[in-house]
Amino acid sequence: MRYRIEHRTDYHYSAPVSRCRNEAHLRPRDTDRQRCVASDLVVEPAPTGWSERSDFYGNPVAAFVVDGPFTEMTVTAVSTVDVVDGDPLPAVGPGWGEALDLLTNDLSPAMLDAREFCFESPLVSTARIVREYAEPSFPPGAPLVDAVAALTERIHADFLYDPGFTTVTTPLDEVLAHRRGVCQDFAHLAVGCVRSMGLAARYVSGYLETEAPPGEERLVGADASHAWLSVFVPGWGWLDLDPTNDKVVGAGYVTTAWGRDYADVSPLKGIVFGGGDSHLLDVAVDVRHVLAD
Amino acid sequence: MDPLAPPARPGAGTRAWPSYDPAPFFDELVAPDGAPRPSAEALWTYFAELGADALAERQLAADREIRAIGVTFTVYDEGVGVDRPWPFDIIPRIIPRNQWQVIEAGLVQRLSALNLFIDDCYHDQRAVSEGVVPADLVSGSPNFRRECVGVDPPGGIWVHICGSDLIRDDQGIWYVLEDNLRVPSGVSYLLENRMVTKHIFPEMFRHYSIEPVDPYVGRLAATLASVSPSTGDPTIVVLTPGIYNSAYFEHAFLAQQLGVELVEGGDLVVLDDDCVYARTIDGLEQVDVIYRRVDDVFLDPEVFRADSMLGVPGLMRAWKAGRVALVNAPGAGIADDKKVYSYVPDIIRFYLDEEPILWTIPTFRCSDPASRAHVLANMADLVVKPANESGGYGVLVGSQATDEELATAAKEVEDQPNRWVAQPIIKLSTAPTLCDDAVAPRHVDLRPFTLMGPDGAYVTRGGLTRVARRQGSLVVNSSQGGGSKDTWVVDAPGDEPS
Repeated sequence: MRYRIEHRTDYHYSAPVSRCRNEAHLRPRDTDRQRCVASDLVVEPAPTGWSERSDFYGNPVAAFVVDGPFTEMTVTAVSTVDVVDGDPLPAVGPGWGEALDLLTNDLSPAMLDAREFCFESPLVSTARIVREYAEPSFPPGAPLVDAVAALTERIHADFLYDPGFTTVTTPLDEVLAHRRGVCQDFAHLAVGCVRSMGLAARYVSGYLETEAPPGEERLVGADASHAWLSVFVPGWGWLDLDPTNDKVVGAGYVTTAWGRDYADVSPLKGIVFGGGDSHLLDVAVDVRHVLAD
Repeated sequence: MDPLAPPARPGAGTRAWPSYDPAPFFDELVAPDGAPRPSAEALWTYFAELGADALAERQLAADREIRAIGVTFTVYDEGVGVDRPWPFDIIPRIIPRNQWQVIEAGLVQRLSALNLFIDDCYHDQRAVSEGVVPADLVSGSPNFRRECVGVDPPGGIWVHICGSDLIRDDQGIWYVLEDNLRVPSGVSYLLENRMVTKHIFPEMFRHYSIEPVDPYVGRLAATLASVSPSTGDPTIVVLTPGIYNSAYFEHAFLAQQLGVELVEGGDLVVLDDDCVYARTIDGLEQVDVIYRRVDDVFLDPEVFRADSMLGVPGLMRAWKAGRVALVNAPGAGIADDKKVYSYVPDIIRFYLDEEPILWTIPTFRCSDPASRAHVLANMADLVVKPANESGGYGVLVGSQATDEELATAAKEVEDQPNRWVAQPIIKLSTAPTLCDDAVAPRHVDLRPFTLMGPDGAYVTRGGLTRVARRQGSLVVNSSQGGGSKDTWVVDAPGDEPS
């Protein structure tokens, strides 16, 4: 399955910007399930400096400098990504207790790599209140995959999708207290729940196909960038689940980057010299299924 | 009195402070029988001859001098920083040289191992993969800076300046309480205390073999120059957060002593060649070494806190490109949290294949269920500390806490056990201190400074002794009303355990 993704960000500043320096996580990474065929990043006004690298998690990052004066800037990423079809669910997997034991005591490189994602991070708490929410989904002896599926199902049922209620830095205790948020909050909460049990989970940013296939309902979060969680299943690999839509991540999903939480993979961040007291931001995302050449 | 002859053991008639009784604590100058320790005998005799009135007069002279030269520290009161004269007690603390040599070797050993550990954290993480420390010490630490992975500072040294906190228990055994590896403060007060003491007791410096402390500044300059990326005469600056920082006096003092510019973030700029330049009246001047006294997260808004006005945009780029040296290196704080502290003996054995010279206080990690249960059951007899903070922030001394404070701490430990550790309460040693014209025992700690560069290490002779002013108080922090003392490492027989 081939997808074409257009992700456009418009900035409007209240005063001229003399210079800005940005980092973009907009180029989709290659994964076990997808390959990025092409990706073009266009910035207007034209950047005066440009460099590309991989970040700590292996995500492609583009860093650029734009010299002003300007009051408007547009960053457009157009990417083509091939995603494999097929069932993303493992047939069997370890119990979550067994997974915990491996993650705690096993010193093999795979376990050590996964352990990076076992701990609290700047936007994901593992405090008792998070663990208390998680525990009912993790009965003793339950297979890890079942436990995590039950968790995402509960988050989907318990929480209201409410754009505008939260910001990118709303802490988990607030999300838990008000039982509402957006995809990013639900992904953070699910990641925090899994980590509070001592297991490994990472935050994935990406996209959903904008128009649903005929006969299916359009998924929530399809008109912006999306986020979900990925859980490490020892002996199998990373399993992606979308708590916002209570789905196993498969057809229709494209991964951009992963990290510990949103702060590691925010699509665009940077610092601005000048620009006045306020700026407006518009984001438009379009993801379509296209025919492979 | 012949100053070269060994001092006669003073009898009861020459007791300097007849009513002085340090029991039940270990006293730095006075043995349990009330007689001076051998290393303090000369001082003792001298004070006995001087008499109480003259001692009080010299304290006044010291206070006047400190005011006159403007040695201050800043305390924060209702959000406003107020400059106070530096509190100084004129009765010095004495450490025999043979004992100090052991401590010095222990501090160098410790810092060598911690530097190897930090370098390992940002490279292969052998300590984790070989099971010496658990992964949460590195990946789970808020002080692990992923931006620093793969960087190779000169000589593999991340911490060039360390300010250790040492204490002694009621048996006189020395312990390391903290390794401050980020931006440790206090060395300027150590140097100023010595200068004032020389003016107050000049005769003691003629008659007594006291190790000098002033070589520190020269050694600091050499250490900074040794990590310069350029081959010529390096341009060094001291980077301060500014006049509102509590240690601003020290930043200004060190820049002046080193003969280098004191700069704020806005005085520096990183250009597209990834080099750092200082804005001077003659135009831009390239900077080679930055002794930075700004915390990691404020250092570079491009990488860390974007709202930081204290740092320099692009500084991390310049550092990673090897165009500038940052002292201490960013990310060094990974090794001075309290969880790492509890593993330092293992870290020393792993990297150096040596036994630790200095003792580490037994530490309960609350993330471990058995330790947590012990801590919760015995909180009133323990010191509970946040695992990832530096300095004294959030520390609870169980024996001096109210029931309410204990309950709050217990809840916090249960909520986020991985954020807390606990240690037994150490009965800090005491030293004679002038209190309202009488001399009484007060608790002390010691902060020596260790310098480490590719060319070697240097430890201050002695350190900054901090003293609690109130009777029974264990709080020695200057911000909490603590005072300070000059510390003499002397060439005299020592009978104390080391």
